[in-house]
Amino acid sequence: MKKIMLFRVLLTLLLTSIFGCTTPYSYQANEFEDLIVVEATLTNQYKYQTIKISRTYTLEESTPKFEKGAIVYVTDNQGNRYDYKEDNNQYLSTSQFQAVTGRDYQLHILTKEGKTYISTTEKMPQETQIDNLEAHAVTKNGNLGVEITVNSTDPTNSSKYYRYEYDETYKVIAPLWYYKEAVIINNKIQLVDRTKEARVCYLAQSSNELLLTNTSKLSEDKVTNFPVRFINSDDIIIRNRYSILVKQYVQNLAAQTYYETLQSISNSGSILSQTQPGFFYGNLTAVDNPNEKVIGFFNVSTYSEKRLFFNFTDIFPRIPSPPYPYECPVPVPEDQADQFIFYSFSQPAAIELLKSGTKVYYPTDGPSFILYDIQCGDCNSYASNIKPSFWID
Amino acid sequence: MSNILTIKNWKNYAMRIFTLLLLFCGFNQLMYSQNQQNTITINYSNINRIEVLKKIETASSFKFYFQDEWIDKNILISGNFENTNIQDVLSKVFADTELNFFIDKNKIILTKNSVIYDKVSTTKNSNAPVFFQQYDSLQKKQPGSLPSVALIGKEAVDSDIDFYTLSGHITDLKNQKPLADIRVKVKNTDITAVTNAEGFYSLKIPTGLSTIEVESILYNNASRKIMIYSNGTLDFTIIEKINQLDEVVVKGKNSQNVRTAITGVTTIEAEGVKTIPLVLGERDILKVALTIPGIKTAGEGSSGFNVRGGKEDQNLMLLDNGTIYNPSHLFGFFSAINPYTINKVDIYKGGIPPEYGGRLSSVFDIVSKNGNTEKFSGEGGIGPVTSNLTASIPIVKEKSSLLVAGRATYSDWILKAIDDENLKNSKASFYDLYAKYTHKINKNNSIEGSGYFSKDNYNITPDSLFTYSNRLISLKWKHSFNEKNNSELNFTNSEYKYSINYSPVNPESFTMKYRINETQGHLKFNSQLGQNHKFVYGITSKLYKINPGELTPGSNSLVDPIQIEQEKGLESAAFFSENYKITEKLLLDVGARYSIYAALGESNQKIYEDGVPKTPSTVVEEKHYNNNEVIKTYSGFEPRVGLRYIFDESLFVKAGFDKNYQYIHLLTNNTTQSPTDTWKLSDINVEPQSGIQYSLGIFKKLDYKDLEISIEGYYKTSKNILDYKVGSQILLNQDLETELLQGDGKAYGIEFLLKKSYGRLNGWIGYTYSRSFIKLDSQFNDEKVNNGDYFPTNFDKPHDVSIVLNYKFTKRYSFSSNFVYQTGRPITYPIGKYYYNGAEYTLYSDRNKFRIPDYYRLDVGLNIEGNHKIKKLAHSFWNISIYNLLGRNNPYSIFFVTQNGEIKAYKTSIFAVPIPTITYNFKF
Repeated sequence: MKKIMLFRVLLTLLLTSIFGCTTPYSYQANEFEDLIVVEATLTNQYKYQTIKISRTYTLEESTPKFEKGAIVYVTDNQGNRYDYKEDNNQYLSTSQFQAVTGRDYQLHILTKEGKTYISTTEKMPQETQIDNLEAHAVTKNGNLGVEITVNSTDPTNSSKYYRYEYDETYKVIAPLWYYKEAVIINNKIQLVDRTKEARVCYLAQSSNELLLTNTSKLSEDKVTNFPVRFINSDDIIIRNRYSILVKQYVQNLAAQTYYETLQSISNSGSILSQTQPGFFYGNLTAVDNPNEKVIGFFNVSTYSEKRLFFNFTDIFPRIPSPPYPYECPVPVPEDQADQFIFYSFSQPAAIELLKSGTKVYYPTDGPSFILYDIQCGDCNSYASNIKPSFWID
Repeated sequence: MSNILTIKNWKNYAMRIFTLLLLFCGFNQLMYSQNQQNTITINYSNINRIEVLKKIETASSFKFYFQDEWIDKNILISGNFENTNIQDVLSKVFADTELNFFIDKNKIILTKNSVIYDKVSTTKNSNAPVFFQQYDSLQKKQPGSLPSVALIGKEAVDSDIDFYTLSGHITDLKNQKPLADIRVKVKNTDITAVTNAEGFYSLKIPTGLSTIEVESILYNNASRKIMIYSNGTLDFTIIEKINQLDEVVVKGKNSQNVRTAITGVTTIEAEGVKTIPLVLGERDILKVALTIPGIKTAGEGSSGFNVRGGKEDQNLMLLDNGTIYNPSHLFGFFSAINPYTINKVDIYKGGIPPEYGGRLSSVFDIVSKNGNTEKFSGEGGIGPVTSNLTASIPIVKEKSSLLVAGRATYSDWILKAIDDENLKNSKASFYDLYAKYTHKINKNNSIEGSGYFSKDNYNITPDSLFTYSNRLISLKWKHSFNEKNNSELNFTNSEYKYSINYSPVNPESFTMKYRINETQGHLKFNSQLGQNHKFVYGITSKLYKINPGELTPGSNSLVDPIQIEQEKGLESAAFFSENYKITEKLLLDVGARYSIYAALGESNQKIYEDGVPKTPSTVVEEKHYNNNEVIKTYSGFEPRVGLRYIFDESLFVKAGFDKNYQYIHLLTNNTTQSPTDTWKLSDINVEPQSGIQYSLGIFKKLDYKDLEISIEGYYKTSKNILDYKVGSQILLNQDLETELLQGDGKAYGIEFLLKKSYGRLNGWIGYTYSRSFIKLDSQFNDEKVNNGDYFPTNFDKPHDVSIVLNYKFTKRYSFSSNFVYQTGRPITYPIGKYYYNGAEYTLYSDRNKFRIPDYYRLDVGLNIEGNHKIKKLAHSFWNISIYNLLGRNNPYSIFFVTQNGEIKAYKTSIFAVPIPTITYNFKF
């Protein structure tokens, strides 16, 4: 018996060492490489063009360092030079301009350390407009949601490579908004009329994923129902009214390939196989040291945008809209009454809560009143009450 | 067991056949009477042997030929035989004497072992045909007794020829298999020969008395004194040195190394590896290969080999001539071939003989054992993880036998018995089966068929199950036209497949399958022309079929099914090689192979835009090819040249030049070969790989203590070596070629080996300095890696040391040790982060810029052989070993995980603690 036990202990030891020996490892990658990162897209949109220049940062840091004090300009083959100036962690062209068909553009950067970087010369590709955007209810991976698709046609058959970005804006409505708000005057709660919009606000966010498609395999240069965005039916961003601005960039093959690689290295791989890691090159080089690694791509592309609005009920007429993202119980559950319901305008606990700015007043039928979380009654607490200029209700 | 020695004279043999024909054609009566004559009735008591013989002569028609002085007249014997065969009678009569007899019709010729003849005519009636067959037992021979003399041929009375040709056949006593590479030598002369693949040898020897010696490392030496009178034959049957622990036989083809002009050849004999301490007590012939300079593995537990700076896919692993695609069990901890079924492994890491082809770096030619045609025998081992049993069953005595072997783990039930929650749900099991049937139809024809199957099941996470299996069938017909010409016809089919069953609770379950199947026909001829020319030539053809991947969603799964279409290709080649002995010292091995490959339909091939990188965005057309329609052909001329020059008995040099083409590629994203890697055929978008190797070796035998030293150097270049773009995904990729890069490889190295094959202390010390680089350059940035410069490959490990030492204390106890050191392999590390397009990305270093920590390991073992009693049920052998005695935490893999936005590194090690094991082996 003793022997059997020993045998088992031995085997456990042995098998544990086969199957379970993974330990944290401090690897000696002390060779952090401080590289310049250039994110530059020049479009045919007449505007102040932007270029972002930053530096790589170490694995321990969480935010990039903005490259300050660089001289940045774009030249074309007609002898024009467009200067950029530093502005709020990016470089903005000093005047508005747009890329023009048939010209060769080149980006020049001179850092304050005196290093010069140039891009290859890039031509503007064919300009193609978005035909239309559509939003449909679909089921993807077992989830019901709304899919926004884009259609675009290039009759000249030369656009081929498309990249998309989007900005989305959505309306939020505070469910327990009251036209008056509680303020503390002389250590007493008083109700005054609201002076600013607090019921309807707007939130905005931008895409941060890479959306790429191409039509090179097709006989016609036609983007058909390319899905740019899928939103689950229970996502609060479509609870009320939602708007998306889809931006289409037609770019050349090199830019497309750069973005494709960027896209694939951000996936760590699947259960089946790993992704090959490594450094990859864009179209920028250091003039003095061609072996220096430069991250980024100077992309000259044509731009087209289209906006789409919809209400939740337009897409899903038969299902309830997503719940409000904050807990605003109506009626207040009896066992939690102490936390919500108050009876006196001079009750110190209520005064303290209102002072902290985390609660909002809501009346009841009786003499008591309720203090809800502020998000329930004042949308300014997490969104902006300024209606975007493009917004159409 | 006794050595059987047969001596024949060709002329007489022919005569005898003629006589036999006559008998069959109408002299049945005579034959009957002859049979009658073979039994005699005789009764004698207390008379000397001469009187006995006289009695026999009067009682029958036999006549004896002998010299009176051979028989001691003072010894009196008695006997009583009733219708007894003459043979049996004479055996009794000559018991306890040194006399042998031979019966030729009615003549009985006596010979005496201990007498040295100076003339055959000393036997009476010497002009009678001498047809000589002698049974001799070397083992029964008393120590100090003289070797017997064999008489070869018939003395011609006025012969003035000084040299005669002695030829013969050397076979293994146990299984009658012809033995190749056995050295046959005339004692005290320079006259030597080595048996060819069919076991034949041929020597020119002077008339008169000579001693013929047979030498082999694996077999007991044998020698024979002969008297040659004309051309004749002398066959040897020799015994394997079994159950001998005093040698670990890993030889740089000791005898053959000198004999051939091919560089970089190593043979590992299965019998020799049993004392080397190994992981979990498993005897493993392929793991021993890793201690040989120039052969490395990408990591502990990796199934691939890197030979002389070549990729894992550049090795042709053959078992009985059929390809084994994944020769490993359990992530590569064990090799998938049962060591008890292996006779030997020939490893060609330098010059590859032209009969082999299709891989750039090496050939591992695993030759299985033949079954015992004499008696039932077997071998087995009981270890902590696996047990195995091999049995050899004679079917037709001395003609055919069946060898069956099986091996299996019991790790599964052990895992289940363990209380640890993590381990309880783990699964890791494997088994392999092997069977081989050999049949010797006649002297000139033999057939063999073998089958092999191995299967592995394991899971890494509880919701996934990996299964892979190898299957192989090989049929062979060997035919000898005559002793100088023979042929081998071989058909093989092998299949490797795997599946991954992923069934998590969420709706992502799927089954993924991969399969490669290969069918091969191989026809080879061996011819010997004169003394100095040997030819090997033939043709071979191989049909590949690959199912590169099929993903089937599980029930209720929402995964989209994927099916990558089948790939098919036909690889054919004609080969020729000549072994030409220019002088006694200079040997040239020159040959070539012309290979032609055709990628076949049915297939849809993507055509990419010219002058731009292949990406999914640059497909211009998809071309359809019908079934068996040729998509694309590639061909290559592959010259192979080897040269050997012997300076003196102890020093020789070799030089080689080799070119190879390879039409099949292994795709792996993991740094080490894993069972889920896939093989891909060359097609319209993927070109075949090719490689050239230049090699030079110096071999020296030192006078001191049988030490042998060798230094071999090589320089290799290769083309179209597959690698991957940054960000590539290999499995189930429908645009696979867009992820692939083909670049130039470059490797060089120098290998030192110091070896002591015999003695109490034996073993070897190997050191290799080698480098291996690849260059991926292109005019397009995304097809460039590391700026288009040469960079170290995944398996570039400059320093490599391996020491295998054995010390024998007594006949029963021996100690063995094994030390390995390797530079850590290159790795690509994340070195920083950057922000782009609204998201954070990891910045990686240049490809393979860093290295993981160095690898080293020491294993020790104690071998105890069972007692040496002759009468016992089974011969037993214990091995107690400790793997990784120093407890070195060698990294198996290093990987990175992003947790809460932070990149963390983890290291997996496999055996970070010393692992003791006990294995019991037995042989019966």
